[in-house]
Formats: sequence, C-alpha cells, structure tokens
Amino acid sequence: MKVINIDNQPWLSMPRTMKITTDGIRYRLFRASVTVAVITVAVAFLMNILAESLIKRAIAANTRERILKAQLNSIWASKLTSPGSPESIIIETATTEKGSDLYKETQAFAKFDDAAMEDFQELTKDINYIFNFFESLDYAKRRDLVHTSEGVDILRYLSDPENNKTFYIGLSRYKSIHFDMEKEELDAILAKIPQLDASINAILAARREANAKITEILRRDYPNANNDAERLAMALPNADKEFGDSIRSVGFVFDKETVAPELARQAQRLQDTTRMKNSIKDRPVRQLIAQEANILPADVNDVLMWNFLNDKDFAEKYLVKMADSGQNIEGLSAELLVDLAKGRKEAEALERAERLTMDAGRGFMGLGERLAWLLFVSLLVCGIGITNAMMMSVTERFTEIATLKCLGALDGFIMIMFVLESCFMGVVGGTIGAIIGALIGLGRMLSAFGVNFISAIPFLDVLGGMLISVILGTLLAAVAAVLPSWKAARLAPMEAMRVE
Amino acid sequence: MAENIATEQGQSPDKNAEKRIIIRTVGLKKTYMMKDVLTQALRGVDVAIDQGEFISVMGPSGSGKSTFFNMIGALDSPTVGRVFIDEVDVAQLTAEELAYLRCHKIGYIFQSYNLIKYMTALENVTTPMAFGGVLPDEARERGMEILDLVGLKDRWHHRPIEMSGGQQQRVAIARSLANNPSVLLCDEPTANLDVNTGQEIIDILVRLNTEKGVTIICATHDHRMMNICDRLMWIRDGQIDRIANRDDVHIELASIDGE
Repeated sequence: MKVINIDNQPWLSMPRTMKITTDGIRYRLFRASVTVAVITVAVAFLMNILAESLIKRAIAANTRERILKAQLNSIWASKLTSPGSPESIIIETATTEKGSDLYKETQAFAKFDDAAMEDFQELTKDINYIFNFFESLDYAKRRDLVHTSEGVDILRYLSDPENNKTFYIGLSRYKSIHFDMEKEELDAILAKIPQLDASINAILAARREANAKITEILRRDYPNANNDAERLAMALPNADKEFGDSIRSVGFVFDKETVAPELARQAQRLQDTTRMKNSIKDRPVRQLIAQEANILPADVNDVLMWNFLNDKDFAEKYLVKMADSGQNIEGLSAELLVDLAKGRKEAEALERAERLTMDAGRGFMGLGERLAWLLFVSLLVCGIGITNAMMMSVTERFTEIATLKCLGALDGFIMIMFVLESCFMGVVGGTIGAIIGALIGLGRMLSAFGVNFISAIPFLDVLGGMLISVILGTLLAAVAAVLPSWKAARLAPMEAMRVE
Repeated sequence: MAENIATEQGQSPDKNAEKRIIIRTVGLKKTYMMKDVLTQALRGVDVAIDQGEFISVMGPSGSGKSTFFNMIGALDSPTVGRVFIDEVDVAQLTAEELAYLRCHKIGYIFQSYNLIKYMTALENVTTPMAFGGVLPDEARERGMEILDLVGLKDRWHHRPIEMSGGQQQRVAIARSLANNPSVLLCDEPTANLDVNTGQEIIDILVRLNTEKGVTIICATHDHRMMNICDRLMWIRDGQIDRIANRDDVHIELASIDGE
C-alpha cells in the first residue's frame, strides 16, 4: 500500500500574513479603534510629559543665558568701578574660555606672555575646584577640615604643615566625601601661593589703576552730576561711542562690535526706566493714571504705570502730562514707552521662567523620579488595557481561529497574527498619541512661559521624544498581546465544529 | 465487523477493483473529565472507510458523533486507540505535520459555514492554498476554477455577509477543495439551509464524489443525503450501532414509514 508523504507545513508569507491581519482589523474597526484610543491616551500622556520636560529643560538653559546677557550693565558697572577680590579673579579666570575677552584682558593686566597666562588659568582652575569642594561641604565638616578659613585663605591655612596633616586625617575620617586631588597635586598648588599672590596683586593693581582713570574721565566729562555712580549711569549709554573708546584706552578689553552696542542699549534702557519710574512723582501724571485706573492719586505706583503704558494712546497722553508738569521729555516717545513697558514684561517673564524651571533638567530626558514613576504606572495600566482588549478579541474569534487551524494554519501564524494586529494598533495609536501629546505639551509650555520662548523650544529633541514614544507604544502593545495570542494559538481546532 | 463491511463495498463508477482504505480507526475510545465526572464519548469504534466512498453518519445528539468526527478529522487525539488517515498514524505526527495533513488531505465543511468574515469568497478559497505554500498567482487561478465548479465565479469578490446561506456553503465547499483533499468531512452541511439550497449542496457533493472520486464523510439528518450515499452508519452511545448499504436501508426506511 502506498504511504503518502506528510511534510512540514510551510510558513505563510509575510505579505499575506499582513494582509489577513489588516483585513481583520478593518473588519472590526470599532473594537480596534477603542484599543487604539487606549494606546493613544497612554502614549499622549507619555509624550506630553516628555515634551514638557524637554521644553522646560531647554527653556531653563535659555533663561539662564538670557538673564546673564541682560546683566551686562551691572557686570560692567561694577567692573569699571571696583577691582574685585582675589577670589572673583580666580573664579572668573577659571570659568572663562581661553581666548575670550576676559582672558585677554587679564593677560594684559597681569602682563603675562601666552605660556604664563595658560599656566595661570590652569592654576585658577585647580583652585576653583578646591573652592567648589569646600562650598559643597556642610558647616561641621568644613570647620573640621579648614576651620573658619574662606576663599584664598583656605590655601594659606592648608600650607601650614600642622593644618595640612589634620586636613588629611579629617578627609580619611569622612568616607562620604571625595576629594579628587592627589596629595602631590595639592602640594604643588600650595607651593605656588607666592606666585599666585604676585599675579593677583598685579592684576588688582592694574584694575585699580584703570578704575581710577575711568573715574577721572567721568569727572571730566560730567562735571554737573551729583556723584560718581550717577556719572557712570550717564556715561554707559554712550558705551558704543566715545565712552567705549575711553574704556578701551585704560586697558579693558571691550569689544566694539558685539558687547558695546548691547551694553549701551541696556544702559540706555535702564536710564529711561529710572526716568519713567521717577516721573510719577508729579501730580498731573499721577492724576492721569488714577483716572484711568479709577483709584486715588495717592495709590498710584509704577506697576500700574507700566501696565497702562502698554497702550500707545495712553503713552502719548502720558507724555503730554509729563511735559505739562515740567518734566524733561527729551528723547522719549510713545513708541519707546510702549517698548519699555514690553521690556519690563519680558524681564518679568524671564524671572517667572527662571522660577518655573527650577526643578527642570534632572534625570533621563529631564524627567524627575516622580514623573518617571507616574509614566511607568500609566504604561502598566495601558498594557493591561491592551491585554484585556486582545483577550476579548481572541474570545470572540474562537471560531475564526479554529477554522484557520483546520485550514492548515500553524500555531506560530495565529500568534504572529495577533501580535501583528496589536503592533499595528500600537503604531497607529502611538503616532496619534505622540502628536497629541507633543501639541498639548507645546501649548501648555508656551502658555506658561510666553510666546517669546518659541525659539528656545528644542523641536529636534521633541521629535526624538515622539519617536521614542511611538516605539515604546508599539513595544508595549506587542508585549501586551503575547499572552492573548498564546492563548489563541493553543486553541483546539475542533472548536470550529461547535455550533453557536 | 468493520472489515466485513469494507470489503462488501464498491459500486461507484470511479471506484476500481483496487480499493484503498483512506480512514481506518482501531479501538477508538475517548473519555472526557468534566468536573470529576468521567464521560465516555466513544467506547471503542472500529471502522474502515474506502477511498471514493460517500458515507453518511447518523446519530442523536450526545451520541459521540462529533467526537468521532474530530478524531477522524485529526482535530483531536483519542484516549485509547488509533486513527490512520491514508495509513498514516495521526498520533505520530508533529504539530507542523498535522497542519500539513489538515491543509492537504482533509477538507472540512461546517454546519455554520465558518467562512472568514473579512475575506472575499476568493480570499477564503485561496487562504488554505496560501497556508500550503501555493504562490499567489497560481492560487488565484485555481481559486477561480474551484469557484466556477460550485457556480460562484461571478461572486468571487463578495464577502460572506453579502451572500445567502447556500452561497456561503458553496464557498465553504470550494474552500475545502482548495488543496485537492482526499477526504471531505461534512458536519451537517444542509442543516442550516432550506430545501432547495440544501439540494444544491447535495448535488455538488454528489458530483464531487462521482466525478473527482473524493471520499465524503457526512454527518446528517437529511433524508435526501441518505438516498444518495453509498453507506450509512449509525452511532449510539459512543459505539457504532449499525453500518448498512443504502439499498438495505431503503427497505428499512420504508418499513419504518409504513408503521
């Protein structure tokens, strides 16, 4: 008798598997869309948090930068009037980049050649590390290690052999603190103290001399002013003109192209702002604001004034009143007033952004520990939701699965069919969710910080976050489908014989 | 008893002198455990079915008829005993080989058609071919041929929901023929259909049996089916009650009707 061959059943081709799966999804579109909605919500939540963290972190960096830029006026005002301290010189030199204006200026003041300046910067970097190390300690430990010394005095304290010994004994006692500097290195630094003192004294002396010259120039140019501070305030708006030349002439490195116009602008604004702040002293002006705000003239303050100055018509009226009350309105215009009010708003926005972004930037992609936990839980819930949906899908398709098995489907095919179905829904839900989440995050962040931060938003990072979200959503859907599809694959084909 | 009957048969035009046993069971027993109660669905069934035979299986519900069908269809494994399909012991096969067997050797026709709802008629027919590794173009061509055979060539792009019960059952027959099986297992194929469409299905089955020589095993309560089959088999209480040729049964039916 002829014995027939029984072969192994081949695997179904991928295109056909895909087609069967997608046709199935299309047929059960409503159920599929509910599952997709679950994934969408979870991924949207994930993406929203991710987007907000990323944006927050970027805005935090941007705010720090902008605030630093906006402080140009105060930086130069103090630089032109005071030589600073040894510590400030060390920190400045250590944190500036090689070849920057400050670097060149310090080199000129200290009369260093290139090699000496490089050595000096290396030394300041090491010392700055020591400063930071002691800053990070709590009071008790610090007192134990270096007693009450501060700043450069720490180095002097440590150069005493007796103190040096107790410092190392103390260091060995505290296991939790790490001083990443070998004893030889520290000794080398301590040996350079006289040299350091000489350098710093030279710089301080040069700066003092330059400051004296500036004061002299100011007194010559503004003989009518009450004091030196007022003279400086009047001179700084001219930093892009002749006063800038004066600054350069006494030895400061003051870039004509980039720093000078910005400094002049900031100084001018500061001057105008001060002028406006003082303008509400006069009665006609106060009355105008009081009328507008419907309050008593005595209650008028500058916050109110700035609020009303946002309106150009009001600014024009305001200028007239200022002139009426005998104030000098030379150089002021309605546009400028509006601009100043806007600038104040921007400064406020910066301040608020700095406050709001205090907690940003920690952990993976700017996520904090608490948020990461929240995300994990939301994904878990979503995973259970998908598993449930897939279980239902398997249960209501018992006959179909069994029939397919009667027709010669392998267990693996049934499993792949369900995992693939889940993956499809994961991709669709993930994509929709990522877009929704990113948009909500973007909207929320923009409404919290203001539209002028739009340039700070890291769109590329957010796009990367979206990609991660989609992949995570798909992966989640695939993993959640494993159990139901395994159940489906194990189904006995004789279920097909059953009549409902 | 089974051997006797197997040798008595052979009247179909295609069935030549050399008779081949296509399905053979030896001492088939099946017990189910349902909540600590042992249920004996089959209590020792020995039967041999020749190639090219048209055999009707009858029995009241709960007689073990469905279990018997699952066994000879390689859908379930017996507790005791063996099933040989084309002299291959089903119990020896791996999962992949079982899938191959179901795909190529047996065609299943169900009472409730069991078409895949989201596939067109043609896709339903070509799916078993795809499982068997037939290339798409060839499958489409062969699928159309088979649909033509059951008279549904024009409706190849219709989904089951757009077809009548009779048409659906015809698609199901076409699907079962996809890989040229040696055996067609029909589980009450006309039970859900009205008289006329039921007759159409029976005609198709008869044609397949006579023209193509396909073995047909058919569970049924339909009298017309009994009229055209070669043999009749009764199952009662998990055992074969009786196996008889059609001619003998006619007399019996007449006598029952006469009572």
